This record gives sequence, structure tokens and C-alpha cells, in this order.
Amino acid sequence: MRTGLGAIIGALLVAAVLASLALFTVDQRENAIVFQLGEIKEVITEPGLRTKWPLIQNVRYFDKRILTIDDPDTERFVTSEKKNLLVDAFVKWRIADVGQYYISVTGDEARARSRLTQIVNSVLREEIGKRSVQEVVSTEREKIMQDVRDKVIEDAKPLGVQIVDVRLKRVELPADVSEAVYRRMEAERRAVASQLRSQGAGEAEKIRAEADKDREIIVAEAYRDAQRVKGDGDARAAAIYAKAFSENPEFYSFYRSLEAYRASFRSRSDVLVLEPGSDFFKYLKSPGGGRAAGSGR
Amino acid sequence: MSLNDPQWGRRGGGGGGGNQGPPDLDELWRNFNQRLATIFGRRGGGGAGAEPPSFRQLGGGVGLLVALVLVVWLASGFYIVDASSRGLVLTFGKYSQTTEPGLRWRLPYPVQSHEVINISQVRTIEVGYRNNVKSKVLREALTLTNDENIVDIQFAVQYALKDPEDFLFNVRRPDETVMQVAETAFREIVGKSTMDFVLYEGRQAIAARAEELMQNILDRYQTGVLISKVTMQNAQPPEQVQAAFDDAVKANQDLERFKNEGQAYYNDVVPKARGTASRLTEEANGYRQRVIAYAEGEASRFRQILVEYNKAPAVTRERMYLETVQQIMSSTSKVMIDAKSGGNLLFLPLDKIMQMSAAGAAEAMASAKPSPTDVPTPETSGRSRESLRARDRESRQ
Repeated sequence: MRTGLGAIIGALLVAAVLASLALFTVDQRENAIVFQLGEIKEVITEPGLRTKWPLIQNVRYFDKRILTIDDPDTERFVTSEKKNLLVDAFVKWRIADVGQYYISVTGDEARARSRLTQIVNSVLREEIGKRSVQEVVSTEREKIMQDVRDKVIEDAKPLGVQIVDVRLKRVELPADVSEAVYRRMEAERRAVASQLRSQGAGEAEKIRAEADKDREIIVAEAYRDAQRVKGDGDARAAAIYAKAFSENPEFYSFYRSLEAYRASFRSRSDVLVLEPGSDFFKYLKSPGGGRAAGSGR
Repeated sequence: MSLNDPQWGRRGGGGGGGNQGPPDLDELWRNFNQRLATIFGRRGGGGAGAEPPSFRQLGGGVGLLVALVLVVWLASGFYIVDASSRGLVLTFGKYSQTTEPGLRWRLPYPVQSHEVINISQVRTIEVGYRNNVKSKVLREALTLTNDENIVDIQFAVQYALKDPEDFLFNVRRPDETVMQVAETAFREIVGKSTMDFVLYEGRQAIAARAEELMQNILDRYQTGVLISKVTMQNAQPPEQVQAAFDDAVKANQDLERFKNEGQAYYNDVVPKARGTASRLTEEANGYRQRVIAYAEGEASRFRQILVEYNKAPAVTRERMYLETVQQIMSSTSKVMIDAKSGGNLLFLPLDKIMQMSAAGAAEAMASAKPSPTDVPTPETSGRSRESLRARDRESRQ
């Protein structure tokens, strides 16, 4: 009984040690390579429990997920019109062929990153160099990303790396050029502002002119109508006078003249210098008066 | 290993009397070494007689210990999944199932492991600012537009998980990925738009397009992320040109103001002109009425006199003449000169006479009766004079 228990404990321990040496798990997020004395024996891409020979075989794990290269610094590129452009891109990649990956960069992620960065930058340089600023910023942005991706996919294959995506993030102008852009924007705004103001002044003037025009028209038309009415009044008055006065024109002349004399001389300030020879004074000189006949009237 | 379970159980039960509390580890180890020595030494039953009691004691202690360890080991398989979360269980590293909220149990290490991931929490990333729109991150905020202008944009992206499995297994640092994708998508969309569109009318549209593009890219990476909302917090021209932009906005206001001032002038002038117009019209109507009425009056008066005149023309004529001259003479100053009486130089102090009569002038003016042709305004009086002349002419014919 004593030996039995000992044996069991011993067997368990041995089993545990062997298990820890011979069994290993591959995580959902990882690939693994089994090395046998430095030589790649097996590449494992399926997660789960695996076995290996203890001591002579060892395992290395590699991330299976999508990885990112995102350099926080922008890189300077030259466009087709020889302008500088600061471009910041990120690369999404994953280790596709673990064996190849291990051989080319000894499984060192930092090395893989720097190699990939070089590849992407050179392709980007080439693609941006073919295009103008306008195209890079706007019209061909997608095209650049696609072209770069397609080329880099090929270039990255020897590294055992699959490029999932290359995307431009920041595309900006160098500081001094930005400054010039600001000046230009400012000038544009000023132009817009002064245009708006003169447009306002112009429209205001137009409205004022219209007001003046309307005033002139309204007053003039009213004047015209008023004159018509007055003329009508005058005409009718004239007709009335004519009708009445033509009944005895000679008497009218006399009557009207007397009226006019009365109206003309009626103030003390009117001074008459008279000659006593007039008809009016005929009796003033002599009671006969008849001799002094003159046609005063 | 679980096969050992019942076996140990039976051993423990058989041993029975080993309730000595927790055994000393050193002692255990010593005993264990002895056991190994016995096994490997294969020394028959020599020392076996002396050993059994201690073995029985030992067996009981180990059994208890093992049972305890086993319980603790199994208990380590319990985990809690929060209501907002899901648990993901991996068996030997391979994903095997997703568990709902509650108290869950999985096989303990090293067989299974689990990850709890919050799926309903809305996560937010902020681009161009941190925490507060005022604390800007210019590197992220300044964006080049289609017309090569620079705009300053702050936006926030809210997202949730639609597939915890993808989120956990497909991409390393998925949250950072969302940030990168947000930036690239937003910049692409802004890069394709003009500045005015970005700053003014196109805000909603840009956020919507960016959201769509982000979702596309994230789906391509199989991040298991669902963009729920992209909001443009702020879009404005960069600080350096802010003043000019403000001025342009002010200019717009000025434009409106100028127009309104013009309109005010219009509203002032035209109604006044209408007033003037109606005054002219009314005056003209008044004038017509007046002139006609005067004419009728004068005509009537003339006719009435004429009737009498026709009865005795000479006498009436003489009377009228004399009356008129009398009236004139009595109301004016007069100087009578008999010019025929001598060629002497005659001195007439006309200015003296004028002065003297000036005193009486006011009186005379006041007493003067308005003539029928007296009218309020110079214009109409001119008119009436004219018309009188016309009447004269007519009557002379």
C-alpha cells in the first residue's frame, strides 16, 4: 500500500513534468512555430492543445491579429510640382506566413516594422511624386492608398507579411507654406468682406435711387393730374366769363377797367400826380365844364 | 487528472483517522522523499513493519490537502459576467463559447480561460481635442481641404461592439485602431470638400460620410466595432485667420444693414411723396372749384349790372365812373399840378409825401378788402392773374 501510493504520486509528478514539457497551447490570437534544435519543424496556425517532443523541441509564438504601424511623425514628401507635403500614414498588417516571417526578420517585430516602414515610405514617395498636391489631398487620395497598398502587398510578401491596408492619415503643408496659406485665406476673406460691403452699399443705393425715382414719379404724376384739373377749372371759368361778358363786350370793358382802377389805387402810399384838365375835374374848373371837353374817358 | 479524484477519495476514506489539522510541509517533503527512496531502493519488506502507522497518518493528511487544493482549483473556474458584458471562454487557447451575464463556471486553468468584455458601454474617442473642446490638439485638428485651405476641426466618435469575438481576436489594440480609422476617414472626407462646405452648410453631411467610411474600414479589418455616432464638435478657420473670417461674417451683417437703411429711406421718402401728391391733387380740385365759383359769381354780378345798364346806359356809365374815381381819389394821396399854368420848375418832395403816408399805409392795408383775385399761394395767384388776363382778352374780342 505504501509503495502503491508512492508510485501514484511519483507517476503523477512525472506525468505533470512530461505534460509541461510536451504539451503546449496555442492561443486564438497567435500562431506558433515548433523548432527542433533550431530547425523549423512545424507551423501551427490553429489554436488549441498541441504536443511536442520535450527538450529537443521548443515553441515560439507570433501574433495572428492585425497589427499597426503608425509613426507619430509625419514624413516629408515631394509632389509632382516640387512642393513639399507632410504625410502621415498608417499600415495595417498581419503575419501571414509565419515561417517566412521568421526566416526574413528572425521573428523580430521591431525589425519587421522598420522594414515595412521603409517599403511603404518608398512606395508612398513614388506615388506622391507622381501627383500634385491637389490630387494627393483630394481627388486621388483613395487611388494613392489603393496603389500603395497593391504595391506594398507584393513587396511585403518576402517578409511573410500580409498588408491589410495602407491609409493616409494627415496630409498637410509644411509650416512655412501653411503660413502662406493662412495669409491667402485671410486675403480671400477680406475680398469677400469688402465685396459684401460694397454689394450692400450698392443695393442700398439702388433702393434709395428707386425711392427717389418713385417720389419723382408720384409727385410729377400728381402735378400733371393737378394741372389738368386746374386747366379744366380755368377752362370752365373762362367759358362762364365769356358767355356772360360777350352779352355786352363794350360795357364789360368799361366795367372791368373801373374795377381794375379801384384795385390798383387804394392805398395812401399810392401817389397820384394829376392834371386838372381831365374829365373828372371838368367841374372843378368851371361849373359849365362842357368847354373843357376832352375824352378823359 | 480528474481520474485521480475518486481514487484519492477512497484512500482518504480508508485512512479515516488522520484528523491532525494542516500537516507540516517540511514533514511532508521528508516523508515523500522516504517514499521515493523506498520505491526506487526496492528493499523488500525490511523496514516496512516500522513504517505503517506514520504512513496512515501521512495518507490522511495528504488526502485532505489534495481535496482542499482540488476544491480551490475547481473554484478558480468561477467568474462573473456583468450585465453589460459577455464572457468569452477559450479552451486550450481556442475560442469555444460566449457566455451570457451571471455567475459562470469554466474548467480551471490550464484547460480553459476566459475574457470578460463590456459590449454595451458606448466608448468615445475625441479627435482634435481632449476632454474639452477648448483644449485642442492642433496636430490632429488642422486639416487640409479640397481648395487647399486649412480648417480646424474637432470631432468625437462614439462606438460600441457588435461582435466581441472579432473585437478580441482580430486586431491588436482595437481602440487605437478606431482612433486611426477615425482620423484617416475624416481627413479623407474633409480633403474632398471645400472649406465653405466644411465650415458652414456641410457639417452634417461630412459627419455622416465619415461615419460611413469609418464603418467600412473597420468592417474590413473585422474589428467587431459598430460606429454609433460621429459628431462634429467644432469646425472653424484656424486661429491665425479667425479675425478675417469674423470680419467677413460682420460684412454680411453690414450688407443686410445697408439694405435695411436703404429700405428705411425708401419707406421714409415714398409715403411723403404720396402725401405731397395728394396735396397737389386736392389743391387742384380746390382751385378748380374756386375758379369756377368765382367765375359764376362774377358773371352773375356782371349780368345783373348789365340789365340795369341796358335800361339807362349813359347815366349808369357816368355814375359808375364817378363813383370809381371818387373811391380812388379818396383813398390815395394826390398832387394836383396845372402843368399848363407855367413852365416853372416844380419841386415835389415825393419822399416826404411817401413818409407821411407811410403811417396811414398799414391802416389802409388792413382795411383794404381782399380782391377777388387774392389767393393764398403765389403760384395760384400768378395763375389767376394769368386767367384774368385771358378773360380780358376774351372780353375785348
